[in-house]
Amino acid sequence: MRQIGTFTTAAASAALLLAISGCGSEDDDGGPIDPPPSSLTLSIAGGGDNVPDRYTSDLWVHADYAYTGTWGGSFRNGNAGNALKIWALDAGGGPSLADSVIVPNIGTVSDVEVSADGEVLMFSAEQGTDEGLYLYSLVDPSAPTFLDSVHVPAGLHTATFGEIDGRRYAFTAKNPPDPALEIFDVTDPESILPAASVPIPDNYGIHDTYVRGGLAFVFAWDSGVFIYDVGNGIRGGSPTAPEVVSGLVTAGNGVSPSVHNGWWFHNPVTDEARYLFIGQEGPGIVGQSASGDIHVVDVSDLEHPEEVASFRLPGAGAHNFWMDEARQILYAAYYNGGVVALDVSGTLSGDLSDRLLDRIEPGGSGNTFTWGVQLANGSLYVSDMLSGLWQIAVEE
Amino acid sequence: MVQPSLMLRAHGPARLRLTSTLNLEGVTIGGGELTPGAWGEGFVDRRHPHTYLHELMVTADDLLRDADGSARISLSAGKGFAPFGTDDPMSRPVLRYPVNHHLAQILERAVAIAAVHRRGISGEIGLFNGDEPERPGQWPRIGGRFGDSWAARVTGAPIAGLEVQGSHARVHSPEHRPGAGTDQSKWSLSGRWDGTLRRSPVYALVEWARTSEASGFFTFSSFLAEGAWSTGSHRLHYRLERTERPEEQRISHFRSLRPHLENSILGITRWTIHTAGYAAPSLVRGGVVLQPVVEISHGRIGKVGGGLFDVRQTYGKDNFWTVTLAVRAGFGGGMHRMGRYGAGASHDSIHQHREQQ
Repeated sequence: MRQIGTFTTAAASAALLLAISGCGSEDDDGGPIDPPPSSLTLSIAGGGDNVPDRYTSDLWVHADYAYTGTWGGSFRNGNAGNALKIWALDAGGGPSLADSVIVPNIGTVSDVEVSADGEVLMFSAEQGTDEGLYLYSLVDPSAPTFLDSVHVPAGLHTATFGEIDGRRYAFTAKNPPDPALEIFDVTDPESILPAASVPIPDNYGIHDTYVRGGLAFVFAWDSGVFIYDVGNGIRGGSPTAPEVVSGLVTAGNGVSPSVHNGWWFHNPVTDEARYLFIGQEGPGIVGQSASGDIHVVDVSDLEHPEEVASFRLPGAGAHNFWMDEARQILYAAYYNGGVVALDVSGTLSGDLSDRLLDRIEPGGSGNTFTWGVQLANGSLYVSDMLSGLWQIAVEE
Repeated sequence: MVQPSLMLRAHGPARLRLTSTLNLEGVTIGGGELTPGAWGEGFVDRRHPHTYLHELMVTADDLLRDADGSARISLSAGKGFAPFGTDDPMSRPVLRYPVNHHLAQILERAVAIAAVHRRGISGEIGLFNGDEPERPGQWPRIGGRFGDSWAARVTGAPIAGLEVQGSHARVHSPEHRPGAGTDQSKWSLSGRWDGTLRRSPVYALVEWARTSEASGFFTFSSFLAEGAWSTGSHRLHYRLERTERPEEQRISHFRSLRPHLENSILGITRWTIHTAGYAAPSLVRGGVVLQPVVEISHGRIGKVGGGLFDVRQTYGKDNFWTVTLAVRAGFGGGMHRMGRYGAGASHDSIHQHREQQ
């Protein structure tokens, strides 16, 4: 869901863009820098309808394995979302279920991520007496082994790795009441240490974070997006003492801002880090309908972010993102709308509806409610609440 | 013990009037009252306890005295009901709370109401805080919330005993106290008749209510008809209700997730419930009235549209029976119609069909 980056404060902010260009996740496509395709086709390559016992939540793909969470806001076949699914990818990238980890006393595995070095699997958990943050070792990627966990009352909605000054942190979103950006030092994954707790206004609190270049973007529902310096140097902040740089409340478009997630786009073609894409999670009926737009914020002046463009898919709502930065394509999970591919090259302004390259509902109508998307190993992987894990082919 | 209430109505100088209701459900049913279909304030299938101070309204009545001719103008302020919808179910004959409580009434708010009554027609408009209570001991949030919501109601009495009303309200973030929740647009139409049939007191109410939320993304409708017929010291009552409600993510069988994290629900269900009851002759001892009541309900639960919510998976079946055996205990005067003040209560009379609890 988010990109893993490394950053050294000593690199100084002037070198930010150079540092960023090197901090792309090893999981992204990393292909040659080409102009965006004039046309693009998304098609089913593998997987699908493979998690009948539970509703699927987030995903992360690393090397030859994928990991998906499960959601327990409503039981499926009597099961809560207390499972982490482990998928082996075949030579063609097709997923097959290898194993499951059942985590006692939690109700939802809400966010999943693997560290950039592939050694640690992290997930956040909600509901149940043991909701919080979990770390597992991937020494054997087919059989994660428990390392440590920390209980966080009310649970964590998401968790994001950030590597700063040679240490690894987990930036997590603590649910209301008393919502907060909770930062943990997970350099030693067998010993999770609290690093900082930053209160977030109780306007539905904090939903997600995106950490890159020493900045933490905090997506805080109706309070909008906050940008924190956690090692960038622009405000002298650190992971133990984040300093706010600025904030912006994006347009509600008739409902409420409902700022949920984002991606700070580092465009290798223009060498700009100008645009922040924000997902608005509007009202929805889970499994049936959703709403909410993609908002584009110009953050070229980090202290004065400005909303410049938006994209709406009528009758559906945005959720998590992934970017093919080299090709300047944004992939957005869109709940009942499936997956959307947008051309985000060049200057972005106003209505981006003509930037739509393609869209696919992997499970078909009535069987699609897509949570997350990730580009890895040349394929697009999609986690769908109803129809499980899919491999999608991207063809130009 | 459900609905333990103490009502006080007082007339002061200069046409000042006090209307108050204390409610002790926070003590007696802090976990709510088992009521399949009921929802609201974080409760599911249990009717929530009311706040300890259910009403405390001061009314300056007939402000202009004779200067406005036959008109009667009033200003009311305090904690109570917004001028919307029908009377609180507590003041109506059927013991079981209707599913539509949160579609058909707006209660326990800090409210200011201007009302006028003339020639059998009254108009009310009120400002209030949109947020509903989160617990029995909580006060309305006035700072930053008072005046963020409004309601208006017109009531007429075309013939003796018949009262019709239409009302509309815009309520900001009722389910999230800090104000990040979705807004509601509410409509209500009702007709109520209090009269006699062959010398027996008869009460009848027909109401339709609709709440549109999140700019129309969610819509919940309700139709309800109820009546009571008294003969001698016996009384029969009946209600038919067909109401839609949201199915939210639950943290237990009877509680939904609060505070909210997002604006999604799992689906919408429609509850069709028949309730019939009989109230036996009262026993009066030392001013205390004791009235045995038996009530039986049959309900059917249907799903409206899509979503993950599964009626049979949740309840094991799609219909239910409930039986209630109760004794109403009361003393003093009758109940007032909770929900109307000053000139807006010009159609009011002490309720004929419900003894004080």
